[in-house]
Amino acid sequence: MSFDIPSIAQYTPEATVFIGVILVFMLDVAGIRSRAIIGGATSIFLLLAFLQVLADLGSWPLQGLSTLPAGLLGTQNGPVIFTNFGLIFQGIFLLSALLVALASVSEADGEEVPTFYALLSLAALGMLFVAISADLIFLLLSVEITGIATYVMVGYTRKDRRAVEAAMKFYIIGALSTAISFFGASLLYGAYGTTSLTAFRALPANSSLALVGFGMVAVGLGFKATLVPFHMWAVDVYDGAPASVSAFLAAGSKKMGLFGIFIVFVAAVRIFASAQGFALYLALGALAVITMTVGNVMALEQTTMKRMLAYSSIAQAGYMLLGIAIDTPAALAGATLQITADVLMKAGAFIVVGAAVGLGVGPLITDWRGVGHSRPGIGASFAIMLLSLAGMPLTLGFVGKFYLFFAAVEAGGYFTLLAIAGLLNSALSVFYYARILRYMYMPESTGSATAGAHPLSHSSLGVGNAPAAPAWGSVRDEIRGTGSARWATVVGIALLLLVLGIYPTPLIGAMNSAAQQFLTLGL
Amino acid sequence: MSLDEILFALLAGTSLVTAVLALLAREIVHTIMWIAILFVSLGLIYFLLEAPFLGVLQLAVYAGAVTILLLFAIMVVKKRIFSREAVTGIGITSVLLSVATALLLAGNALSLPYNAAGRTYPTPILSQSLFLDFGAWVIILGFVVLSALVGAVYLAKESRGRPIRAEGE
Amino acid sequence: MIPLDELVLFSGLLFSLGIFGVLTRRNFIMLLISIEIMMNSAILNFIAFAAYSPAGNSLLEVSGQGIAVVLIGLAATEVALGLAIVLALNRIIGSVDVADAMQLKL
Repeated sequence: MSFDIPSIAQYTPEATVFIGVILVFMLDVAGIRSRAIIGGATSIFLLLAFLQVLADLGSWPLQGLSTLPAGLLGTQNGPVIFTNFGLIFQGIFLLSALLVALASVSEADGEEVPTFYALLSLAALGMLFVAISADLIFLLLSVEITGIATYVMVGYTRKDRRAVEAAMKFYIIGALSTAISFFGASLLYGAYGTTSLTAFRALPANSSLALVGFGMVAVGLGFKATLVPFHMWAVDVYDGAPASVSAFLAAGSKKMGLFGIFIVFVAAVRIFASAQGFALYLALGALAVITMTVGNVMALEQTTMKRMLAYSSIAQAGYMLLGIAIDTPAALAGATLQITADVLMKAGAFIVVGAAVGLGVGPLITDWRGVGHSRPGIGASFAIMLLSLAGMPLTLGFVGKFYLFFAAVEAGGYFTLLAIAGLLNSALSVFYYARILRYMYMPESTGSATAGAHPLSHSSLGVGNAPAAPAWGSVRDEIRGTGSARWATVVGIALLLLVLGIYPTPLIGAMNSAAQQFLTLGL
Repeated sequence: MSLDEILFALLAGTSLVTAVLALLAREIVHTIMWIAILFVSLGLIYFLLEAPFLGVLQLAVYAGAVTILLLFAIMVVKKRIFSREAVTGIGITSVLLSVATALLLAGNALSLPYNAAGRTYPTPILSQSLFLDFGAWVIILGFVVLSALVGAVYLAKESRGRPIRAEGE
Repeated sequence: MIPLDELVLFSGLLFSLGIFGVLTRRNFIMLLISIEIMMNSAILNFIAFAAYSPAGNSLLEVSGQGIAVVLIGLAATEVALGLAIVLALNRIIGSVDVADAMQLKL
């Protein structure tokens, strides 16, 4: 039960992120408000923390730099436990924060810059603590760090009415979910006599109290993870918030809710399923299927890009919940893979939407007509992200879904139905992603054709190999419109999706062993 | 029935009645007054539970700070201070949902198997454990307060420039 | 000592009153108050369960009361941030009615 100073070495990633926060404060006091400097510094510290997490995971070139003492992995130390599974999620969380930090370097300078980056780093810090928590109160408090930071981030433009209203709505929902999950935690404390997550591996004497407690914690975390009965806020908030913040909410803070659900329930599901029968698996599976169906069906009828992406993000949460609804190592690894893919896809897609203003594209889906031709770099990257979201082969989105559904079929019986539901949903989602692609690679309508260099003949030629067709001049224009940091981030994400989609073996290997370890630990 | 139980019944009754009155009040200032009484009686219940430190904390933080903050919030929003805002959303769903919650939790409480005698904790042990055993929680709470502080200072500060009106709709 | 089941019954009722408030009121400050009532019922639960926790659990001897202290701090922090949001919102639209602020489509 020690949380003493000498053991601080194992918290190097957290310490790195926090030093970044302090540095931002000092730059703010010094009067430096430039995005290039503050954003650059934050990105560097997030990157260092990310590399440190990779080193702790023992990944190839960095394994020598690990700061975790030997034998620490898998042993609970008070409210903290380090596991490979948690470390993988630390990497995922840092990746989402890093992408957002990099991409928002390209936005306009202003007095809000230091606050934005400080809050982004603090939110990342909270997520890092979530990933190592072994205690329900520690977990919920860490969730609250991220929660409070993101409420303010949503309204950080401060003069934009829609953003501040979205912040208010997000705050109310967040505070409500906190109250509900802490009440649930109090019931669990009553049932088990402790709040340590390892204690939840046993069936308590008073199991109805514990069941209600687990239910309420699930509701509280379900709000964060946008599972379906509790998803109403998400679309409004993602829509009203600045696009870079939406990227962080969809890529980062929602995954934190899912991870919280994973670590609280993996043990609990099995124990209660053995005591109460199959109903619990049935309920979780139904929740997952309802979440993805509602998300996909609602996404079909959206006309603005941000709302469509928000609903598609809700649908993705359903796929990820399958990991715990199926409850095998393979399914959990598949869900982790899907979460990794979704962090890249959703962060990338929202960043592209945020860049739309600089590209001269409106908020409606129909406004994207012809973008694939006039903006080849962004267009192709966005196309790759959409294809990955739809689960097309050769992208990381496909790998994640394939593993998840394969694990469901492998588990057999009722779980096969979940795989079928997931497949049908994927097929459904192709419709709305394909619609955007169709618009993007449609010839620009003659009336609104902006650049004179786009006669109809050119466009019809360009459909096959659109990215290569236009001259370099338009790419340079495009970089000027989006800002070089944002452009590089978007293209980098697209490349990463392709590379990892074609060669996912190292990711899969790491996630499989981590999920295996996680499930045997029960934590 | 011991003195403790009689006092608890009185305080619990007061709390529930004031909570209902607070939620049904038309004027928001009245709500704050009822809510202050609710916080005070909860603090007294903590004293009855022999948790004097928490009782004091409840009185200082909730009955003191939180109530004043809420009053301040209302004062800032001057034009609404005497607005008669009715309870708008009493529908079948909201009533059913809250009654269902109440029944669920009450059913739970009545099935509690505890019959052990209560225990008390000396305050020094609580304060020691807060900074030794539960140091991690306090550290995390520190981060929560830090991010809330950064955010609140930023949001409450007067910004330069005119508000942007939302376009359309 | 007060019986545990009465305490938990009381906190459950308080919690569902908070839910009722959240579902029925539309004013931001009223929502804040309802959520505070819910938080208070959680705190009461922790203290009540701590008073009846089985003996011999030395590691987390007083954890219920420790959690309650932390939670009181957390709830006060949240209210302070809520006030900041009220200020920011009031500056823009001059009212804190959630119904007024429903420009975002549901």
